Amino acid sequence: MNRFKAILERDLRKFIRNPLVVAMSVLMPVIYLVILGNSFQGELKRLPVAIVDQDNGPGAERVKEALRALESGPRTFELRTVSSQGFAMEGLREGVFTGVVVIPPGFSRDLARGSVAELGLFLDNAETIAANAVQAAVTRAVAETGREFVSIREERAAPRLRPIELYRKIDYDQTLIPGVVIMAIFLGAMTTGAFNIVMDRFLGVEESYFLTPLNKRDIVMGLVGSGLLITTIIAVTVLVVSSLVSGIYLWRLLTIDGFLLILAVIVLSTLGLQGLMFVIMGRLNHPRIVGVLGGFMNVIFFFPSGAIYPIESFPAWLKAFAYVNPETYSVHALRALMFKGASLGAVKGDILFLAVFAVVAVAAGTAAFKREL
Amino acid sequence: MYAIETENLVKKYGGLTALDGVSLKIPEGDCFGLLGPNGAGKTTLIRILTTLIRPTSGRARVAGFDVAKEKASVRGAIGVVPQAMTSDLDLTGLELMDIYARFYGMGKKERRERTDELLSMVGLRERAGDLVATYSGGMRRRLEIARGLVHRPSILILDEPTIGLDPQSRHVVWELLEKFRKNDRLTILLTTHYMEEAESLSDHVAIIDYGRIVALDTVEGLKKQIPQKDTIELTVSNIDMGKAKEEISGHPSVSSVAVNEDTLIISVDNGANAIPELVDRLKSLGAKVTRVTLKEQTLEDVFIHFTGRPIREEEARKVSFLLGAGVPRQWGK
Repeated sequence: MNRFKAILERDLRKFIRNPLVVAMSVLMPVIYLVILGNSFQGELKRLPVAIVDQDNGPGAERVKEALRALESGPRTFELRTVSSQGFAMEGLREGVFTGVVVIPPGFSRDLARGSVAELGLFLDNAETIAANAVQAAVTRAVAETGREFVSIREERAAPRLRPIELYRKIDYDQTLIPGVVIMAIFLGAMTTGAFNIVMDRFLGVEESYFLTPLNKRDIVMGLVGSGLLITTIIAVTVLVVSSLVSGIYLWRLLTIDGFLLILAVIVLSTLGLQGLMFVIMGRLNHPRIVGVLGGFMNVIFFFPSGAIYPIESFPAWLKAFAYVNPETYSVHALRALMFKGASLGAVKGDILFLAVFAVVAVAAGTAAFKREL
Repeated sequence: MYAIETENLVKKYGGLTALDGVSLKIPEGDCFGLLGPNGAGKTTLIRILTTLIRPTSGRARVAGFDVAKEKASVRGAIGVVPQAMTSDLDLTGLELMDIYARFYGMGKKERRERTDELLSMVGLRERAGDLVATYSGGMRRRLEIARGLVHRPSILILDEPTIGLDPQSRHVVWELLEKFRKNDRLTILLTTHYMEEAESLSDHVAIIDYGRIVALDTVEGLKKQIPQKDTIELTVSNIDMGKAKEEISGHPSVSSVAVNEDTLIISVDNGANAIPELVDRLKSLGAKVTRVTLKEQTLEDVFIHFTGRPIREEEARKVSFLLGAGVPRQWGK
């Protein structure tokens, strides 16, 4: 126990002597939140769309009005009326427009006759997400214009979708907080624990530790212990700071139980990742390999965790990976605890998975560790 | 009872044979020097004796414990100063000593006393609160010697303890080792490729080359084993050189005399003692001795005799601290 504590203390001292690392460990995930939250906005806005009206009839007018309503309301579009279709298409190709709506001659006439009236919609397929958004919005706008022709009575009877949100209003950047906390844990686990052994090995310091009666377990547990302590402090700091940045006051949102459960999720996630790092990096001898591996692993674990995009939309193989990815369970549990006021019952599956993962990973990391030159 | 005993140790790295059947017996309380050029297998032997690597075959016992089977006991009994500087730069000297003492399970009071004592002895007490990163190379080496002794081991093993140090720091380290040896009744095993170091510290010296022990004896004993003697050159005047040669050859410790113009080149046992007598003999014949030089037989001569070449000192100096003692790179050259 004394030996384990000596290793732990050594690491803490060394970590604290590098204040830049401490500051970066907290700042980087928060900056990540700000960047991600603003680059992946939930709803797309101000997409440039051109309208080419070759019909000039009342039907065309109604379509344009419906589109303008989307422009001034949710600001989905920025519309520009263009007289030449050729000019509009050139703009689309050059990326000036995300979409071009062409109202062909005879559109109003076909509409009045009740026959099929068709609009042309050209999209920039290279911008898939923006193109999909434009298509959805235009389809909706056109459907709105069609509805004017149904009788009033039918409209009353028509089912109307009114979205009801189950939980308190959550902005997109707020939904990213669990992911950012997990990222902080990942970065923490990567730069403490096993990384110290890689650095010691690189600097030739490990030799002198191996010469002492320290056994494998003292070394691995000491390093995991210090890493756990440091990473937990960083993760909680990141949780509080990123919540404040995105306008959440945690002390109003969380009960003591909720906070303790969040802490449990953070601790178990950290332990699991610390163990995993020992399995992967325990025998490496150069920090550069850790840099390369770390960048790679961060993406591999972070993106399929549901932190940014729902897992349900993944292809089957990626979904299968998501189900064994510990970060998936961490994100799910943190989201439930933060935004849904979940109790232990709702997250016990996540916690069980994380606990089993942590035990297996730390045991495997200890077994894989080589206490010899 | 031997402090260190090895039996036919062999270590192979793939096709390279780093140790080729080393058998040694080092008595308790001895200061044993292992002398050899870089890549001779010194560090490999040390690493096997200190449980860091496993031998391919053969057996070794350190402090009575088998290095392969009783690793923990071996580690508790030995203090080691590795070749590369291995102190954490981000810790202070005091913290480093304390943390190592804890690795050996020492209690708080004992740790404080021992750390204090050792840091004073190695002259680092004033700097104990500073980060190791601010220490000079000589200070770091002294700290590592103190670190190696923190748990009062019975055997101290040092791998090239003065490599890369300036001559002054080197002498400080030698004095320290002498002092600790007397105080703690230590057995010391040190490797070196500095002749002077082996000669001034060691009771026994083994010469290792290409993974084999090629000679083992006391320094004096080794010198006796080789035909080269001390050489005295006497420049004389006022005498017939043939007569002078005849007179000198008659001295019991002189084995041969050559004449080069007005200089007698004399091969002799224990030259320092012989000089006054030889000079007196010449003077009694009315000769005037104008110049005397003595070239004493050195361990270098011994080394050349046993290995067929001078020790590769220049090359050895290039070893960087970070690379330090790695897998022998120039093996079998």
